[in-house]
Amino acid sequence: MPKLTYAVALSVAVSSPVMAAEFQWAGKTDPQTMDPHAVSSAPVLGFLNNVYDGLVRMSKDMEVEPSLAESWEPIGAGEGWRFTLRQGVTFHDGATFDADDVLFSYERASDESSDVRSWFSPVTEVKVVDDYTVEFYTNAPNPLFPASIANWMMMDRGWAEANNATRPDKESGNFATLNVNGTGAFKLEDRQPGLSTTLVPNESWWDNAEHNITKATFTPIQNPATAVAALLSGDVDFVEPVPIQDAARLEADPNINVIRGIETRTIMLGFAHEADTLKYGASAGQPNPFQDVRVREAVAKAINVDAILRTIWRGSAEPASQLVTPALSGFSEVNAARPAFDIEGAKALLAEAGYADGFGFGLKCPNDRYPNDEAVCQAITAMLAQVGIQVELDAMPVSNYWPELRADNFDMYLLGWSPGGSLDHEHPLRFLASTPNEEKRLGSWNFGGYSNARLDEALPSILSEIDPDKRQALIDEVTGIYQDEVAYVPLYVQPLVWGTRSNIQLTQRPDNFFMLRWVTVN
Amino acid sequence: MLAFIIRRIGQSILVLLIVGLVAFSMFRFVGDPIDNMLGQERTIEDVERLRTQLGLDQPFPVQYYRFLEGAAQGNFGVSYRQGRPVSEILLERAPATLELAAVSGMLAIVFGIALGVFTAIRRNGATANIIMATSLIGVSLPTFLIGILLIYLFSVELGWLPSFGRGETVQIGESWTTGFLTISGLKALILPSITLGLYQMTLIMRLVRSEMLEVLRQDYIRFARARGLTDRVVNFRHALKNTMVPVVTVIGLQLGAIIAFAIITETVFQWPGVGLLFINAIQFVDIPVMAAYLMLISVMFVGINLIVDILYVFIDPRLRVDRTGAH
Repeated sequence: MPKLTYAVALSVAVSSPVMAAEFQWAGKTDPQTMDPHAVSSAPVLGFLNNVYDGLVRMSKDMEVEPSLAESWEPIGAGEGWRFTLRQGVTFHDGATFDADDVLFSYERASDESSDVRSWFSPVTEVKVVDDYTVEFYTNAPNPLFPASIANWMMMDRGWAEANNATRPDKESGNFATLNVNGTGAFKLEDRQPGLSTTLVPNESWWDNAEHNITKATFTPIQNPATAVAALLSGDVDFVEPVPIQDAARLEADPNINVIRGIETRTIMLGFAHEADTLKYGASAGQPNPFQDVRVREAVAKAINVDAILRTIWRGSAEPASQLVTPALSGFSEVNAARPAFDIEGAKALLAEAGYADGFGFGLKCPNDRYPNDEAVCQAITAMLAQVGIQVELDAMPVSNYWPELRADNFDMYLLGWSPGGSLDHEHPLRFLASTPNEEKRLGSWNFGGYSNARLDEALPSILSEIDPDKRQALIDEVTGIYQDEVAYVPLYVQPLVWGTRSNIQLTQRPDNFFMLRWVTVN
Repeated sequence: MLAFIIRRIGQSILVLLIVGLVAFSMFRFVGDPIDNMLGQERTIEDVERLRTQLGLDQPFPVQYYRFLEGAAQGNFGVSYRQGRPVSEILLERAPATLELAAVSGMLAIVFGIALGVFTAIRRNGATANIIMATSLIGVSLPTFLIGILLIYLFSVELGWLPSFGRGETVQIGESWTTGFLTISGLKALILPSITLGLYQMTLIMRLVRSEMLEVLRQDYIRFARARGLTDRVVNFRHALKNTMVPVVTVIGLQLGAIIAFAIITETVFQWPGVGLLFINAIQFVDIPVMAAYLMLISVMFVGINLIVDILYVFIDPRLRVDRTGAH
C-alpha cells in the first residue's frame, strides 16, 4: 500500500493538472434506444445529449444557450422564431450540417411515429430561408419555443436516407436504434444494449472540449447495492443515483465524493375531484368528501412534510409549495408558502365540512416509480389517521399503477412531475391543472379531473405572452387559484444524489442529465 | 419402445403448451407496457393506438395463439424495450449464462463430491464437523446475501476481484462470446460462480455423505475390509462407485435448476446473461422477451426430463415391459 500511495502522489506531482483518462460510469437505466426522436424519456434524452446536439442547449445552470444555432430572434410580432445556424459544423461521418438537416430533423421528430412530436404541436410551418437560416412559424406567439426544443437533436438527412432510418421506429427498431451520427462532443464507438455503451471524443467537435476523457464506458447496474460496491471498489468512477441510505456512509469514505442536489421532480398528492362517491376503504360508496375544498385543505394541513423529509429522506429533500420547483422558470415567488402542519386546524376544517368523525378512503401509490414512494405513502396514512381519516393504502408496481389511474380507480393518489420540454411552470399547468381535453392535448395527466374555468382561460395567454412580467403575473394568479382550491397537495422536491471517486470533477444539472463534456478526471 | 418415446414426446409438448398458456394468462398482472414505451407527453389516444398496434387489446388466448403462430416459424417477436428481435437478444445473452452455469456446476460437482467423501470417511474428525457446520451457511443463506457478502469482502475490502460484469470477452465464431480466454474474464467468473454453485455444492456434499455412510454400513464393505483390502480401494472403488447412482440423477436434475436460479446471481453481479434480461423484461413488462424466456426454460426442463425418462428405459429393463403385458 505505501508504494501505491507514493506512486499516486508522484503522478499528481509530475503531471499537468489535466491529463487524459478513461472514464467508467454506471446508472440504473440503460437508454433503450440511440434514436433521439423515438423515446422521450430522461435516460434516453440525457444520454443522447452527449452524442447529438440541438439548435439550443441548456447550460450548467439550466439557461438556454446557443448550440447548433448561433442566434435566434422572434419573427415580426411573434409569428415564430428565426434561427441562424452555426457554420462549419460536421456530423461524425464528416457530412456538413445545414438548414436542410434541420428541416429533415423537424419532419422526422414531428412525424406520427415520433415520441417527441408534442414539442412541435404549436409549429405550423418550417421554412428554409438559406443554407444557414431556418424559420419556425407558430400558431400563436410562443416565447418558450427555443427552450422547449433544447432536447430536439439534429440528424443528418443523407445518413438517415442511406440507412433507411428516415422515421423513428420504436416498435421494431431500425438502423438509428443502434447507431449514431450526430454532431455531439462524443462519438458512439460500441453499443451493446443493456450491457455496455462506449463513447470516444469527437475530435472535430465545433465547441471547445472542457473534458479530458479519451474513452467513456457506460454500464447499466440495476441493483443499487452492486452499483455502490462498484463505486467503492473503484470499478466505476461515477454512479447515479446513490441510494439515500448509503449516502452518509459513502460521504465518510475519503475516496468518494457524494454530490447532492435538487431535482426538477415535485412529488404531490392528487384527488378524485370528479368522482361522486368514494371507491375504496371504510366509506366506499358514500359521497366523495374530496369534492369539498375544506376536506382537501384538511388533508394538506394534516401531513407533516418536515417529518417525512427528516425521517424518510434524512434531510436531503426540500418541501414543495407548488407544481414546480424554485429552480425552474415560472416559479411563483408570491405563492412560495406551503400550508403549515396543523392537526387542530385540520380537525376543525373536517368538523366544519361535516366529517368530525372522519371517514375512510383508498390511497393508491406506486412502489417502484419514485425513490421512497411507498414509505412516504405509509407515513401519510399514519398522519391522516391522527385527524380521524382512515386510509386504505394500496401500493403497486408502476406498470400496474398508471393503468389503474387511467381507469379512475382511486380516491387519492401519489404523483411525481418533472416538466419536460420547456422546463417551465406552464408544463404542469398544461398537463396537471388544465381541464382534460383530448383534442387540445390538455390535462392528459390530470387523472382526478380538476377543473377551473379561470385557469383554463388564462392558460393560452400564459403560453403566448411575450412580456415576462405580464406572463409571471398570470402564472402567479393561477398558482394562487390551484393552491386555494387545493387541486393537489405538493409535498416535496426529490433530491438528486450522485456518487463519484474523489478524483472526478463533474457538474450535476437539476434535470438529472449527465454531461460527459463537463467531466474532468484528475 | 417407439410407442413409449412418441407418447413421452407428446406429453412433453402438451406440458409446454400449458406452461405457455399459464404464462400468457399471468402477463396481464405484470402490468401494462404501454406507459413504459410512451413518454410523458403521450395522449390517451396514443396509448390506445399503440395498444392496438401491439395486439394488447386482444384477450390473452388470442395473444397466446399469435405468439405460438410466430414461434412455430421461429419468430419470437420484437422486444418492446430494445426494438430488436427477441431471438437475436437471447442468442447474444445465452453464452454468459451457459458459461456461468457450467463453471458453477463444475465447482459444485468437484467440491461437493470431494467434501462429501471426506466428511463421510472422517465422520468424527474435527475438520469434517467444521465443514458440515459451515455447509449449513450454503443451504440457509439466501443467494443474493452470499453474493453481496462476497462482493464486499473480495471487491470492496480486498480489491482482488471485480464487483460486477463479465470482464473482457472474446468473440468465437458468429454468435458465441467467451470470458474464458482473458484474465479479466476469468477473474469476473470467480465470485458469481461461487455464489451460484454454493447451494448445489452443499446439496451434493450432503447427499454424497449420507449415501456413502449408508453404503459403508453394507455387508459387502465389511467383507471387503475382512479380505484385507486397503482403505483406499474400499472407499473409492467399492463404496464411492455405489454411492454415485442416486447422486448422478440429482446432478442431472440440478443442471436445469442452476440455469434457472442464475436470475438472482446475475442480478447481484450485473452478469449479462438471460436471467438479468428476464428480470429487466419483467420491470419493463417486455412481454415478447418474458414469453420467449419462459418457453426456453420450460423447453429445457421438459427436454432434460424427457432424456432422463428415455435413459431410464435403456438402463432399467423392468420399465421396458410393454404396458399391456404389465397387468
